[in-house]
Amino acid sequence: MWVFVPMNDDQLLRYSRHILLPEIGVEGQEAILAARVLVVGAGGLGSPAAMYLAAAGVGTLVLCDGDTVDLTNLQRQILHSAEGVGRLKVESGRDTLLRLNPFARVETVAERLEGDALEAQVAAADVVLDCSDNFATRHAINRACVRHRKPLVSGAAIRFDGQVSVFDLRQAESPCYHCLFPEGQEVEEIRCAVMGVFAPLTGIIGATQAAEALKLLIGCGTTLDGRLLLLDGLGMEWRSVTLGRDPGCGVCAGRGEA
Amino acid sequence: MSIRVVVPGQLFSYTDGQSRLVAEGATLGEVLEDLDRRHPGLRFRVIDEHGEIRPHVRFFINHQPALALSRALADGDELLVVGALSGG
Repeated sequence: MWVFVPMNDDQLLRYSRHILLPEIGVEGQEAILAARVLVVGAGGLGSPAAMYLAAAGVGTLVLCDGDTVDLTNLQRQILHSAEGVGRLKVESGRDTLLRLNPFARVETVAERLEGDALEAQVAAADVVLDCSDNFATRHAINRACVRHRKPLVSGAAIRFDGQVSVFDLRQAESPCYHCLFPEGQEVEEIRCAVMGVFAPLTGIIGATQAAEALKLLIGCGTTLDGRLLLLDGLGMEWRSVTLGRDPGCGVCAGRGEA
Repeated sequence: MSIRVVVPGQLFSYTDGQSRLVAEGATLGEVLEDLDRRHPGLRFRVIDEHGEIRPHVRFFINHQPALALSRALADGDELLVVGALSGG
């Protein structure tokens, strides 16, 4: 349950362009300020996602990543800069986020989030953003979100292809990530380090994740729940396809039943 | 039965970098067989040796999920092939 604290004059000014939007207003901005958002991955997607969330006023951002900043990251991972090479990504990221918005509270987890730590972070979050770079983490995050019935904003990008969706696991009819792509032993892991990735693609997808997360927090508009948005960055074409629950899903079958 | 097919970047090595293709077939299975004749090797990337759709691949016909190779298509339908992406 969110606890809303009235905004002071600085905050009213800082967030005035949000407050002017009738879909957000003071009440919506207070919901953003009171929220706790978990961002798993401080790389290509996590960078723009966390930056927009921090700038927009998310009260507590939890940034998780066990990696350090590498020179090859800087082409797209805009949370980090040249002086950050060799530092933990979460520390480099926290510094950037606090420069953007000194009022943000940024908690960091400098490890690959899994097991009890993952469960605890998901349980405490209002919205979870999957900005990770491997299928094992994606499925672990999804399982935790199913268990704790948390909305999951999932993004992925490689080469010129991007995907983004919302799995609003508070809703009985919503599919989970495993309904879309079941976990399999022969899953083909395609990594940016091998295949490359177009820098702005991660910005577009990560910013879309931030937009969906804010809409979920505010409760405005229509989210991507039940839809998968696909971006072909070469043709610059978006496509949207419909997703449904898999009644035989190994993760969420039976969810919502009494 | 002419079907418009859109494939992701993961399959470009089979399609000379083309994302928009055309194929013939009355079912999803037939369309994939025709695609494989035109772009050898493509079908095995999406269908395994047991004839099952690979778990990291999904098909959508006119934006709706197509879960079986027996799914019928009509002339002018659009088949979208989607592969799971893990990059972040």
